[in-house]
Amino acid sequence: MRHTIFLVILHAVLLTTVLQAQSETEAKPIVGLRENPIPGFAFVNADVVVSPSKTISDATVLVQGASITSVGQQQAIPAGYQVIDCAGKRIYPGLIDAWSEIDAKVNESLPGYWNANVTPQVNVSDSIGATVADASKLRSQGIAVRLIAPKGGIVKGSSCVMLTGDASKGRNLLLENAWQHLNLTVPRGGSRARYPNSPMGAVALLRQAFHDAAWYGQAWSAYKATPQLDRPDQNVALQVLGQAIASQPFLIDAANDRMAIRADHFAREFSLNAIIRGSGREYRQLDEIVATKRAYLLPLEFPETPDVKTADAARDVTLQELMHWELAPENPARLAAAGVKICLTSDGLDDVGQFLNQVRVAVSRGLKEQDALAALTIVPAELLGIQEQVGRVESGMIANLVITDGNLFSDETVVHECWVAGERFVMSEGDKVEHPALAGKWELSVRNADGQNVKVRLEIEDDDGKIDGSVFAISVAEKERKQKSSKQKSKRKKDKAEVESTKLQNVVQQRDRLTASLDLGEVDKRLPSGISHLTIITLKSEGGGTDLLAGLRLPGGESQNPPMRRLSDFVESVAQSESDAVDADSEKDEVDAEARDAAYSQVRFPFGAFGSDTRIAEQSTVLFRNATIWTCDEAGKLQNADILIRDGVIVEVGSNIKAPKKCRVIDATGKHITPGLIDCHSHMGTDGGVNESGQAVTSEVRIGDFIDNSDIQIYRQLAGGLTTSNILHGSANPIGGQNQVIKLRWGQTMDGLRMREAPKGIKFALGENVKRNQSRYPNTRMGVEQIIRDQLLAAREYQAKWRRWRSGQHETLPPRVDLQLEALSEVQNGERWIHCHSYRQDEIIATLDVLEEFGIQIGTLQHILEGYKVADRMARHGAMGSSFSDWWAYKFEVLDAIPYNGALMHERGVVVSFNSDDRELARHLNTEAAKATKYGGVPEIEALKFVTLNPAKQLRIDQYVGSLRKGKHADLAVWSGRPLSTLTRCEQTWVDGRCYFDLRKDQELQTRDRDLRARLIQKVLDGGDSSKKSTPEEVAEEDRWVRHDVHCAAHGGHEYDYTGNLRKN
Amino acid sequence: MNRCKQINQSIRSNSKIMSGIRLTTTVCVVFVMLSSIEAHDQVPGAPQSRPIVIRNATVHVVDGADIINGDVLFESGKITAVGKDVKAPKQALEIDGSGKHLYPGLIEPMTDLGLREISAVEETDDRTEYGSVNPNARAWVAVNPDSELIPVARAGGVLTVMTAPRGRYIRGQTAVINLDGWTVSEMKLKAPAGMYIDWGAMQPRGENAADERTKREQKFTELDELLDSVRRYQKAREAAPDTTATDVRLESLVPVVKGDLPVFIDADRQLEIESAVAYGQAQGLSIVIYGGYDAEACAELLKKYDIPVIIASTYRLPLRRDEAYDTAYTLPERLRAAGVKFAICGEGAGSPGGAANARNLPYHAGVAVAYGLPHSDGLRAITLSAAEILGVADRVGSISSGKDATLFLADGDILETETNVEAAFIQGRAVDLGSRHKMLYQKYKLKYLRSRPVR
Repeated sequence: MRHTIFLVILHAVLLTTVLQAQSETEAKPIVGLRENPIPGFAFVNADVVVSPSKTISDATVLVQGASITSVGQQQAIPAGYQVIDCAGKRIYPGLIDAWSEIDAKVNESLPGYWNANVTPQVNVSDSIGATVADASKLRSQGIAVRLIAPKGGIVKGSSCVMLTGDASKGRNLLLENAWQHLNLTVPRGGSRARYPNSPMGAVALLRQAFHDAAWYGQAWSAYKATPQLDRPDQNVALQVLGQAIASQPFLIDAANDRMAIRADHFAREFSLNAIIRGSGREYRQLDEIVATKRAYLLPLEFPETPDVKTADAARDVTLQELMHWELAPENPARLAAAGVKICLTSDGLDDVGQFLNQVRVAVSRGLKEQDALAALTIVPAELLGIQEQVGRVESGMIANLVITDGNLFSDETVVHECWVAGERFVMSEGDKVEHPALAGKWELSVRNADGQNVKVRLEIEDDDGKIDGSVFAISVAEKERKQKSSKQKSKRKKDKAEVESTKLQNVVQQRDRLTASLDLGEVDKRLPSGISHLTIITLKSEGGGTDLLAGLRLPGGESQNPPMRRLSDFVESVAQSESDAVDADSEKDEVDAEARDAAYSQVRFPFGAFGSDTRIAEQSTVLFRNATIWTCDEAGKLQNADILIRDGVIVEVGSNIKAPKKCRVIDATGKHITPGLIDCHSHMGTDGGVNESGQAVTSEVRIGDFIDNSDIQIYRQLAGGLTTSNILHGSANPIGGQNQVIKLRWGQTMDGLRMREAPKGIKFALGENVKRNQSRYPNTRMGVEQIIRDQLLAAREYQAKWRRWRSGQHETLPPRVDLQLEALSEVQNGERWIHCHSYRQDEIIATLDVLEEFGIQIGTLQHILEGYKVADRMARHGAMGSSFSDWWAYKFEVLDAIPYNGALMHERGVVVSFNSDDRELARHLNTEAAKATKYGGVPEIEALKFVTLNPAKQLRIDQYVGSLRKGKHADLAVWSGRPLSTLTRCEQTWVDGRCYFDLRKDQELQTRDRDLRARLIQKVLDGGDSSKKSTPEEVAEEDRWVRHDVHCAAHGGHEYDYTGNLRKN
Repeated sequence: MNRCKQINQSIRSNSKIMSGIRLTTTVCVVFVMLSSIEAHDQVPGAPQSRPIVIRNATVHVVDGADIINGDVLFESGKITAVGKDVKAPKQALEIDGSGKHLYPGLIEPMTDLGLREISAVEETDDRTEYGSVNPNARAWVAVNPDSELIPVARAGGVLTVMTAPRGRYIRGQTAVINLDGWTVSEMKLKAPAGMYIDWGAMQPRGENAADERTKREQKFTELDELLDSVRRYQKAREAAPDTTATDVRLESLVPVVKGDLPVFIDADRQLEIESAVAYGQAQGLSIVIYGGYDAEACAELLKKYDIPVIIASTYRLPLRRDEAYDTAYTLPERLRAAGVKFAICGEGAGSPGGAANARNLPYHAGVAVAYGLPHSDGLRAITLSAAEILGVADRVGSISSGKDATLFLADGDILETETNVEAAFIQGRAVDLGSRHKMLYQKYKLKYLRSRPVR
């Protein structure tokens, strides 16, 4: 069965909430007399927008009960139907808001998944009341249907769809188990101690849960077929998830454009029918978003105006923020124009009462009205599978109607009525009109105990619906003076101050009736002291005006109806002229808007400063002439040499190379050219959290799930000649996550950054970092050695189990796919290389011993600061060492770290590299290499290999990169002088034969960005509304996660925030 | 072959054999063989007992043009002659500086050297006192002369540093120390050298603009009140020393309000720098900016009030995403062009390595040179300019007669990584260029030497 549709059939008698209504839609018996008003309505003379593509003018819509029974021109109106004249009005289908969320209950008594973040069994309809929160506000926006999703968690559970009427839950609940909701990151506000505590951990958990759900089904089938097998444990979470995978659409949260692409990847991995809950940033990588071929829920919350009021604030604002402010309102238009199926939702709006306004902003920024209406009606209806119930004004649909006085997408248009399943809601605007009838000055004649008529003046003010009133005495003298000269205002004011008066107390305004209390004795001594009660009733007069009837109950209890006479009309000319001014402004705005349209900034790759205008630069044929070429190969250092590259690879290195046709020739006289530098230990370019420290073993976690192609560090490191980087998981646990080798292809897609040729790897870690957590195993180096050994044994047994199963030995339950052990099996099979964080010689030897027990060759020993003590042991194993050049003394286990380490290991035949583990250091690995010469006298040619060929060997990519030789990738750096010198700077960096960094181009980018910043800041200031910093904004998803290894104490003093800006305090 | 060790050990030896003998490589080798086997802690240099003349070196005097094949004579710890063919007393020890470069000792102008050993081990960390107002905390009383970090810095040519406490606000008093001595009293060159304040503390963040304004105003009022009470305290103490109760915090701020003790203000952003300068002027303080990332934007102000800047490292990431990748690399040249007085600091407290890598100071000047600063200004920024800013230019910072003989001999351009320091003198004392690193190096070289198969 496709998802369980719980369609509530509505044929209720409406316009009443009376419980006694006779009903064919429910089973409840009637108490007392039956009531049966005629349940039919006829909307006549309306322009009916049946669907985004079809409008019928001058049409009639018949509604009976909750349903539309007929739509068309010249319909016969059944007898007794209430006729609603909609001349000059339009009827739209009720809108669908496909997003809202609430905290949902988890039934703890059912056996669930081991991890509390996986609760597919949650059904949000168990946690909601009869009506939707904010229902009246939603209706004021024309919203008749709303999705409600469970909040929190990673597999969050099922949403439901509700009508926004005021009726019972049974009527309002339109659809249960609508979508199953997923989140690819750790929910906000949760504990960061438990697994998972990083986005990459969240995705790993999801992946495992999906495999487990599949296994659960197989295990039960096997058990049912062969009851002699061990009975699998009941697990409602896996059962529900298994059903969902088979039949339910998934909605995956995507807090930014990268997350949307990742959501799509995840959905593809498990062949899910998935919809993506977008962020409003999709326009930044539009091609990739289009390629997902998924539908998107788009928020209408557009960025607040950036704060650029002060010079300091303007200096700190990023081009990303400014461009986003300018372009975000265009996101829906750009996606729709590119053919992406979109829904517009209230997601993120602080005030859902702004919904239509925001829709109109999107329309004013290019979203076609037809697309906008579809995004609010038929698209969400289809995605929810309720397109035959809601989304159009057609016979047989639920009677959700929006009645407006014009085009829904025009700013001036007012929503008059919203009908939800035949239930009528008239918007409150009408009520307000009634207040001015009362506002003004009135003369009231009160008869006192002596039978005298005492006149008092009643002044009533209407302050946007709030009524204030005072009663003043009218003296004879005042009257006279007023007749003489009414224009001596100042004097009159003074007199007025002396006049006795009292304020109306306890004013209650209820539609057409106002009650208040006052002490008339305070106004005029001739009137009784004590509290009198005043009632004023507004009545419609025959001529269409209003009559007022006052009632007064004096303190003594006697009542009278004092005659009321209007003294002067409320002057509204001021208000009138104000509104005129507003109109003029808005016209001006429209003109400005058109002028602005032409100047909107272009999206860049990546978004923001230093981004490229095109996704991929040209891959040209280039001949570098007459350089000093450090080949890092047998050829050594070549003077006055040339290098020719074509199609991304090196064609030739040598002297006097003949330039082929259509070849760009770069005169590199006086320059030095080296292979692009390679960093064997980095944590940049990832927004997945670097460490998943929630467990001691997290081999299922993948850095590669969270490549951040917008990280500015990529560009900055390119500027230091770096072309390849090994992005490693942090050192929080003995067995950490899987690494990702990237090429610094600035501007390309997330996927485009991956170095496909690089074999898989994984991070291990030893020593102080991994034994620090006192609440779990291990706490000593002894324990670290044991947990690694135990896991390798487990992986060995895991593989054996699968081998038996695959060979047809099915006398057990089918084995479960265990992603943790899968990764370790790959390690065992030589398909995944270990990069092991290590410091002390004892742990180095212990680890090599364990690996040798399993016949595993280590990939690299990272940091390896005591490698010099056991270089012979390393050499015997064939272990390579990737070290810091000269860091030491930042923690106890590096007390014996010495800068001669590299040289000593090198001399013993170990392949040595120097790495950065630091975003800044990675910008000058060339001068780090020089330290191998300084400390221990490694010859310069060999020293340069510490940051080129040797890390390539360590990453097992040396057949592609690391030296300049024919056939290898055209990754190279051009230097102003000797590459190992501090006095040299990098002038160009090439990756795959494309120039990604160039000093001159960098200057152009800076000029371009400076100009754009200036224009945008000016634009913000011109708006005159630059600091709306009222509520502190939520930290963006990508900024929630650190971008260095927090478990490496060397970083303790760094005051950089996650975006690479220096943070003060 | 560890050349520095050779020369050094030779000079350090007071044996009669050495006196008057021109050093030869042969003699050196004998000493290096002996010393390399003998693993020992570094021993402070003995006071200069006879004149030393270094001949035929490229002398980077810093306060003038380099002297090619120049000679420098120093006696009793002071430089007495600089030039060509300097006449030396008969008993003078002659050192051949042919092919070598002679530099004044490098000066790391802000560090926590001596105050901490291993940053992650709390017990070895004396940088940050309790609370945030610690003007009375004095760095030099907690400098460990036997810190393993000191010889490492020294071996890199860094012979003088200003060491300072850390903290969130008023950090305490700094000291300029030489990196050699049995006790800190022998190391001290100037103490106190300054009061160290983190100006970031004056700019707290608020929830909104109004809140931020209030919070910041509050901080300024607090500081106003503190300085005012210092002035009143001073008057009261002068008027009635016997009956006015003492207050060590206020006491320690008296030289600050008098303008006698410079205030080193940790400030990077334009807002911080400008507000610090304005505040300093209003209060009559003598200030120095440490950090100075945005200093170019405040150049006019800094020039007008003659306020120098200690650039907190050039190997530094841009502060803001949109800034040029080389913003920190080019800062020294931009300040030079703008006419602002500056020194370059290496990896200050907090950076990876921090005090542990004070030895990398010259490379911070090197990168500035790569990105536009004239070479001679690069060298000046880590020697004489630093000495001037720290108020010790009468003693160190250049090779000139009358100054302390705090200098070193290197085998190349000290701004280049591969260059090694071969001999160093602090106030004429030949200092040990060994270190824990070199000891361990020797030890494990021996391991592999022994394990080599005998043919």
